[in-house]
Amino acid sequence: MFRRRRSADDFAEELQAHIELEAEELRREGLSDEEARRQARRKFGSVRREQERFYTQGRWIWLDKGLRDLKHAFRSLVGSPGFTITAVVTLALGVGANTAVFSVMHAVLLRTLPVKDADRLVYLWTTQPPHGTGTVSSHETFSYAVYDALRNQSGGMEAVLAYVPLSGSKVGVRVGAQPEEAEGDMVSGDFFSGLGVSLQRGRGFTAEDEKNHAPLAVISNGYWTRRFSRDPAVLGTTLYVNGVGVTIIGIAARGFEGLEAGRSTDFWIPLQSRPELNAWGNPLDEGKTYRANPTWWCLRLIGRLRPGVTKEQAVAEMQPVFQAAAYTGLGTPPPGEKKPVLGLAEAKGFPGYAGQYGKPLRLLMGMVGLVLLIALTNVAMLLMARNATRQREFSMKLALGAGRADFLRQLLTESLLLVTAGGLLAWLFAIYATRALGAWAEIESSMAPDGVVLRFTVAVLAVAVVLFGAVPLRIALRAGPSLAIKTSAAVSGADTGKTRTGRVFVVLQMTVCVVLLVGAGLLIRTLRDLENTPLGFSADGLAVFGVKPQFRGPEQGRVFYRDLTAKLEQLPGVESVGLMMWRIGSWSSDNSEMLVDGRLPDVPNGGSRTVRMNAVGPGFFRTLGVPVLAGREFADSDTVSSQHVGIINEEFARRFLAGQNPLGHVIDTESRNFPITIVGVVKDHKYRSIDEEPIPMAWYEYAQIPVIGRMDVEMRVRGDALAILPAARKVVQQLDPDLPLIQPMTQRAQYDLTISSQMLFARLAGFFGLLAVALVAAGLYGTLAYRVSRRTAEIGIRMAMGARRGQVVWMILKDSLGLTAIGVAAGVPAAMLVGRALASSLYGVTPLDGTSYLIAVGGVGCVALAASAWPARRAAAVEPLTALRTE
Amino acid sequence: MSTRESNDDRISLLQGTLDLLILKSLVFGPCHGQGIARTIQRQSEDVFLVEHGSLYVALQRLEEKKWICAKWGSSENNRKARFYSLTDRGREQLAEKANQWRRLTHAVGLILDAGSATKPEEA
Repeated sequence: MFRRRRSADDFAEELQAHIELEAEELRREGLSDEEARRQARRKFGSVRREQERFYTQGRWIWLDKGLRDLKHAFRSLVGSPGFTITAVVTLALGVGANTAVFSVMHAVLLRTLPVKDADRLVYLWTTQPPHGTGTVSSHETFSYAVYDALRNQSGGMEAVLAYVPLSGSKVGVRVGAQPEEAEGDMVSGDFFSGLGVSLQRGRGFTAEDEKNHAPLAVISNGYWTRRFSRDPAVLGTTLYVNGVGVTIIGIAARGFEGLEAGRSTDFWIPLQSRPELNAWGNPLDEGKTYRANPTWWCLRLIGRLRPGVTKEQAVAEMQPVFQAAAYTGLGTPPPGEKKPVLGLAEAKGFPGYAGQYGKPLRLLMGMVGLVLLIALTNVAMLLMARNATRQREFSMKLALGAGRADFLRQLLTESLLLVTAGGLLAWLFAIYATRALGAWAEIESSMAPDGVVLRFTVAVLAVAVVLFGAVPLRIALRAGPSLAIKTSAAVSGADTGKTRTGRVFVVLQMTVCVVLLVGAGLLIRTLRDLENTPLGFSADGLAVFGVKPQFRGPEQGRVFYRDLTAKLEQLPGVESVGLMMWRIGSWSSDNSEMLVDGRLPDVPNGGSRTVRMNAVGPGFFRTLGVPVLAGREFADSDTVSSQHVGIINEEFARRFLAGQNPLGHVIDTESRNFPITIVGVVKDHKYRSIDEEPIPMAWYEYAQIPVIGRMDVEMRVRGDALAILPAARKVVQQLDPDLPLIQPMTQRAQYDLTISSQMLFARLAGFFGLLAVALVAAGLYGTLAYRVSRRTAEIGIRMAMGARRGQVVWMILKDSLGLTAIGVAAGVPAAMLVGRALASSLYGVTPLDGTSYLIAVGGVGCVALAASAWPARRAAAVEPLTALRTE
Repeated sequence: MSTRESNDDRISLLQGTLDLLILKSLVFGPCHGQGIARTIQRQSEDVFLVEHGSLYVALQRLEEKKWICAKWGSSENNRKARFYSLTDRGREQLAEKANQWRRLTHAVGLILDAGSATKPEEA
């Protein structure tokens, strides 16, 4: 069909031959040469039409026409590069921002795990853990006893799988000689088979492997690629995890990055039962690992429903088993305690992420949706303006017999071309944006746009194509063939009613812009408040890192840390060194109720008795710069054999020891039975994160307590804090060559991490706000400039009739300022609604923050003024005579 | 015979007829387009006026179906012309189509004759 056997020339020749043969015959019949030729030609009719028929015969006409339209549209777009570039970039920004945010939202909240029959997978959660237990996440972690009970009752679940990281961050591993870090999880024996994750090489674990705590490991595709360069010989290699050798037996399927929220797991090992490989890398609690400790709820659970079993049925069966198992080893529950209730949640996104990122992401999605709205109206307005100037072209075409279908096809083709270019650029933009977003949010798992995101984007683009084809079509058809006859610009532009759509668009954009700016303003002010929140000490000049050596007993640990502290303090530039069990500013803490002088303190109005605890070394508060208000801080003289001492903060004293001298009181937790005597009170300061409220705190002396493992080291440094880390690393390796520094960074950076999601959110909101303003400015300028140019003749007449330049400028400005006023009037109440929705994400600002509103309204006003000033000046510069001569 | 196209089903009906006439006119030997047109006109005693556009479209179509083949040659007075001739497949088609046509005209004739019994003045 595409290749013709005969050329058009050949055919033309044949027709010519026909006419000549005919003429010859006529000559033979007695006509003169001239007359014969004339008659032959007349008899034949239109040669052109036959050629056209020959051309169209057997072709895919629509394809042919389509190609012609495409060529035409391409030429027409290239012919007006300013319009084309503006439209394509506007579209790319609007659609790209949407694609990027949707992509992240999809990855974090909506995407099912890359496993077989993901719809039957469920996360297990509980309303609350029983009294007297410690958790990692109060709703999502369980004790080993619960896991053991649930997996052994078959019921509605095909499998119940446990998984738990070997460390809160990364765990020390070694393949050759060099110690390094990786992310590892301990998992059930049927983890891979139960999830339905295949292995691209080797094998997964078995139930036997879990029972025997087999020293085996499966690594992820990512780790295999990154660390082992995809060397197949990696199977059988020994990986030393915290010094324990495990043999790599398999490589998980590509795309499976584990179940840890926002992190990509490098390797998995079967659940272990040895102190070096305790859950979360914690030191043993009274000599017990997570397996033997019923008070530590630290395992996450995921299960697979049997086919045809609903979540409700499965929960109903498991509930009694769960509630019995929950109290294993805890004794009888205290009277009046509400029993924990088990629940199942669809395994979409990551557990725990919906809470942290769910709302911000939905709000961001809303924001970029508004940006898209602005972008689309912008391009529509541009198209209207562009096509209005082409009205005479359309009119001429109509007059020459072009049909509506031809117009629609041509305009749709132009629209398709524009949107395709914009869409491609948007996709590129989105790929980079998601990467940047992921890096910003510290999410390591893949968030790159995938098939679902592509479908979303294509759907958005399809809407754009139709919109951008239909809007100018109206203009084109309204032109009517008669317009071609009208000769002057003054007359042809007289039908001004058509600008109404444009005005509605401008008002709509102003409204949306106000809403976006208010939202962005509130979030940015929140961020500034957060950044300026005093921590209660000076975080600048502090460097921090963690170490996790293996000790045979607490005494060995004490010696190690005493040596380490002494050696670090001798480094040039180091002023002082402090040790802490839980790194400050990392969200981690040890929480419990505390007995004061042997009984639970009374708190008014049923307030919380929760106390956050930490264990720190001598000189810790001096290193931080936290003032000691009463008594003393820990000293080298506090040892195992001396009196067990503790320090509290102001809030503790205020809440539990009001009106008394706190020094000398004895405090203890209910479960630990390790009473300490208060010897000091320090000023309140931020412990876990920047945005926390003051909470009672108590500190143990690390050398006195019977547990010692990972510690974090705080160093007060003169000058650049980071510069001390290489020297510190050397010191650590002199003590133990196998020890990596865990998460070395400045203390300031550590605290900033606690507001990273707010930071990300606020910066993005600010970015989208600015983007909206830029788009609105461009759109408004384009529309006004176009309208002014259309009124050139009118302005010329007015000025010829004696209008002053000022009056002309005001005429133009009045128009746009009026539209702005309407837009702002509609935008402020809308912004109030948005502000209320944002309320929970704000810190230190009210949703009705005046400054944010003023800036937003002022910003929109300025943009409107700036965008109108230029066209207005141009209008004023019109020379009456030239204007009248323009046509 | 006029085949001004305006309606799809009329064209297809008449198309077949023109095809048949072309095939028939080629039975006696190769001929060029103008000759075919003349032959049809003459043999139908000027009832059919072959519209040249339709003729060449039809020739093109028949050629693509490989019922006829064409090559450039010279006419009796040494003019260059494109000569068409029947292929074997064309001959088969001619026989079949002629047969179809006769059956059709016979059937139509039966109906028209039956009508003429009641209105003899129109016969």
